[in-house]
Amino acid sequence: MLNDRGFAFDPTSGETFQLSTTGLRIVRLLQQDTGHEKILEHVIEEFEVEPNTASRDLADFLLSVKQVGWISE
Amino acid sequence: MNPPRLILSGLHRGENPQPGAGLIKSIRAQFPGAFIIGLVYDAMESGIYMVDGPDQVYAMPYPTSGAQAYFRRLDEILALSPADILIPTLDAEIELLVHLEEEITRRGLRCVLPDKLTLQRRSKANLTELANLCDVAVPDTQPIYDLSGAYAVSRGLEFPLMVKGQYYDAKKVQHEGELAAAVSRLAAEWGAPVILQKCVDGPEFNALGLGDGKGGLVGLCCIRKTILSDKGKGLGGITINDPRLTDLCERLVRELKWNGPFEVELILDEKRGEYFLIEINPRFPAWVDFPSQCGANFAGALVRRLLDGVWPASLPTCPAGHFYLRHQIEVHGHVNQIAELAGTYA
Repeated sequence: MLNDRGFAFDPTSGETFQLSTTGLRIVRLLQQDTGHEKILEHVIEEFEVEPNTASRDLADFLLSVKQVGWISE
Repeated sequence: MNPPRLILSGLHRGENPQPGAGLIKSIRAQFPGAFIIGLVYDAMESGIYMVDGPDQVYAMPYPTSGAQAYFRRLDEILALSPADILIPTLDAEIELLVHLEEEITRRGLRCVLPDKLTLQRRSKANLTELANLCDVAVPDTQPIYDLSGAYAVSRGLEFPLMVKGQYYDAKKVQHEGELAAAVSRLAAEWGAPVILQKCVDGPEFNALGLGDGKGGLVGLCCIRKTILSDKGKGLGGITINDPRLTDLCERLVRELKWNGPFEVELILDEKRGEYFLIEINPRFPAWVDFPSQCGANFAGALVRRLLDGVWPASLPTCPAGHFYLRHQIEVHGHVNQIAELAGTYA
């Protein structure tokens, strides 16, 4: 479960999460099967982040969502 | 059919809550006309004084006083307040009653209990053997009978480790200097053996279930503990739906052919992604009324079984995402109520 305020609940583990606006946008793009490079472009453009910072933060975020089992690759 | 007349125990809430008060709430939800008799060991058991609490309360001798004292008092109570169902809720009561079903039946009482061997197989001292049979991970667990044994075992398990009473209570011990005090206290309170268990770090999970005595489940509700008290009690929990956890519980119940209520306690080792079995309690947990509020009334199903002689249809699964928070408020009583219970056993 993920709502528009960024609150997420994993029914298997019982864990709850609060995503930032950026995190929520990234998860929504992942749900639409958007590729990682395209997601990076969205983050840079929509949140006015410097490309290197955006790239590093996106990699960290993708690692986190992989660890909680939301994505497999 | 006349409304059921039940006897149950475990009315204390507070810091170390017992299941009785939750059972009463669940039973009244399904059987509004039920007459409920509470057995108490202390006049300060808070459930005595709750709104919609027991209709009648009697003081009991502690289960450690033995079967003769227990049944003598039960006969006095039954002469004053006849009943047809007995639901023991405390580990020490179940240990006392487990091989005395004839005594219970002879008094016209119906009761669901595991047999003595099955009860022993799920005890803390035998947990490793059971877990291995069911292909369930279990922390290294060893019963010890004296201090020299405790020191020897602790060297193999490494600190910190859990020191547990055979029925109840546990203490996390950080180093050898704390070991003797913990072992002595728990042995004095709960007798030997005391259990030493390797610590597993991770989120804690509980499963409440009813076994049909033939290896099947009448119902199962799995939760993740979301808030823990200093003593590790679940002050909050949320229902989950993890097929691995359901499967694990099914394997245990199938192996034990468990009859009646139980609670499985587990810790998830997140690095290994594996559930570790910590304990199996032979009774309802204190949070028994929570699933009733999600549509799965475990206490109601047990009473139905005792009235009809057969288990009702399987309880519905509690959907993931329902949570409970333990909420404490003050109950009101008058000293006259304490006086009525005092002087006998409480």
